[in-house]
Amino acid sequence: MASSVLKIVFSPSHPQGGTGRAGVMTDVHRRFLQLLMTHGVLEEWDVRHLQKHCYRVHDRTATMEALEDFINNINSVLESLYIEIKKGATEDDGRPVYALVNLATTSISKMASDFAENELDLFRKALELIIDSETGFASSTNILNLVDQLKGKKMRKKEAEQVLQKFVQNKWLIEKEGEFTLHSRAILEMEQYIRETYPDAVKICNICHSLLIQGQSCETCGIRMHLPCTAKYFQSSPEPRCPHCNDYWPHEIPEVFDPEKEREAGTSRASKRSLRSRQH
Amino acid sequence: MLLKPENGALPIPQAEGEKDGGRDGETQALTASQKEVPSPLLQETPMEDLGARREEGAVDSTITPKGARTLAAKALARRRAYRRLDRTVAELVQFLLVKDKKKSPITRSEMVKYVIGDLKDLFPEIIARAAEHLRYVFGFELKQFGRKHHTYILINKLKALEEEEEDLGGDGPRLGLLIMILGLIYMKGNSARETQVWEMLRRLGVRPSKYHFLFGYPKRLIMEDFVQQRYLNYRQVPHTDPPECEFSWGPRSNLEISKMKVLGFVAKLHKKEPQHWPVQYREALADEADRARAKARAEASMRARARARARASDRAGICPW
Repeated sequence: MASSVLKIVFSPSHPQGGTGRAGVMTDVHRRFLQLLMTHGVLEEWDVRHLQKHCYRVHDRTATMEALEDFINNINSVLESLYIEIKKGATEDDGRPVYALVNLATTSISKMASDFAENELDLFRKALELIIDSETGFASSTNILNLVDQLKGKKMRKKEAEQVLQKFVQNKWLIEKEGEFTLHSRAILEMEQYIRETYPDAVKICNICHSLLIQGQSCETCGIRMHLPCTAKYFQSSPEPRCPHCNDYWPHEIPEVFDPEKEREAGTSRASKRSLRSRQH
Repeated sequence: MLLKPENGALPIPQAEGEKDGGRDGETQALTASQKEVPSPLLQETPMEDLGARREEGAVDSTITPKGARTLAAKALARRRAYRRLDRTVAELVQFLLVKDKKKSPITRSEMVKYVIGDLKDLFPEIIARAAEHLRYVFGFELKQFGRKHHTYILINKLKALEEEEEDLGGDGPRLGLLIMILGLIYMKGNSARETQVWEMLRRLGVRPSKYHFLFGYPKRLIMEDFVQQRYLNYRQVPHTDPPECEFSWGPRSNLEISKMKVLGFVAKLHKKEPQHWPVQYREALADEADRARAKARAEASMRARARARARASDRAGICPW
């Protein structure tokens, strides 16, 4: 084997924009990536803050790129690693969020190293209940009742309660009044996996055609829409009607998310955040 | 979990075995500059041309239809093989990032078991490419603990910032505790008895088995986590009766922090200057000098290798892209 080895000699440095394909990574981008990875998922205002912080640390004199271009630049470099910074929105009020997600693997592999086999199986069981549910929420009781069916080491209900809290802390699940649904991070990371694994049970939004966990549905024809998608679609309609069957839309139309309003409500944000931090 | 690699013969040459680039005997930085492997971003067409050149035996200028089919099949197999190699490298990068988040060192056998599979003969090339990605894209350096122990960790090349530590939450207080212990160890002459460590912590209100709101169970954090993460070494002191155990700095601490920094921290704590402890100060100065020398050596050899590579690629006339 060794005798037929040929040394292939290449320039060690990466093309500095030479190929015209991949962007250029500097310490600004690297720090941004590292911190985004640490947080798992970040809201857009946090991401802008983060971008500013990275420029301040590494390159004060440079003009800051627009966030979209900044992220596209990084994504072009990440392409060869089959990962990307993906933008999504929270399902309850449409706040834009960003996460670093896998493009290639179709499993819950990112969780796999943080959790034991029986913990991963608990997540899978919770995931299935959430997907099958009407509201997108699975009750703590129903999840804990499945504890006997878990693969791997036997888990007691008390332990399972703590594992569920671990999922919440790591931003895979959100808890609301004893019920669990998927965190926007999980939706961003696992959409492809969920669509491939549960093709029959999965719900899709009629407007944006993405995975839907929480949303509103038409009582006549059954189509579903995300709350923020509903807000945008019916924004200027005095009389909201189902886009599919034209029947009256029976639900309250939520407000469109407005980042400006969020910033103005600066002082009350603190209390809003503490509420949200329980969920997100 | 991660994609399982399929079977198949790969007409990819082995990267040459690990060079003796070890500087301070304890760790080796694994970057692509140490290994003569292609830069990971330069994956696609150029490789295929080289693949053709790599074929053993001369390619006949007169090609029969059957020969053309064979060549086409070989080219296809080569492209598939490169794609598979790319994917494996990408998976290894993700695997290393995820594992490093827990701060536990990663062994070669883990990498082979979970990611590389039956491409394990190409381990040197795969890990070199992964190291280059980690360096260029994320700013992490992949370091190996010694030449024999196939264990690796990631070192952050970006300078650490104090504000960020607070943002990250969780980790901050624990690392603070670690630095206190490292400080004690250093001031006691590079090793401290276990009893001394617990005595110091007791004065801070930290007891081994009492749950602490910042550190969790301190005994588990120190005896298990810190030791497993190679921040601390823990061993039994020979010829002690009853048997006593002592802590010393683990290899990871030596990589992530310096004696001078820890001395500075201890000094600040006591509201004094580092020079107040002349013995430790001299030792810290010597340590700084060693680190500077090692760094200079590393940079010099990297430059030399880059020059050698530039000369060689000029000769071969290969356009990198």
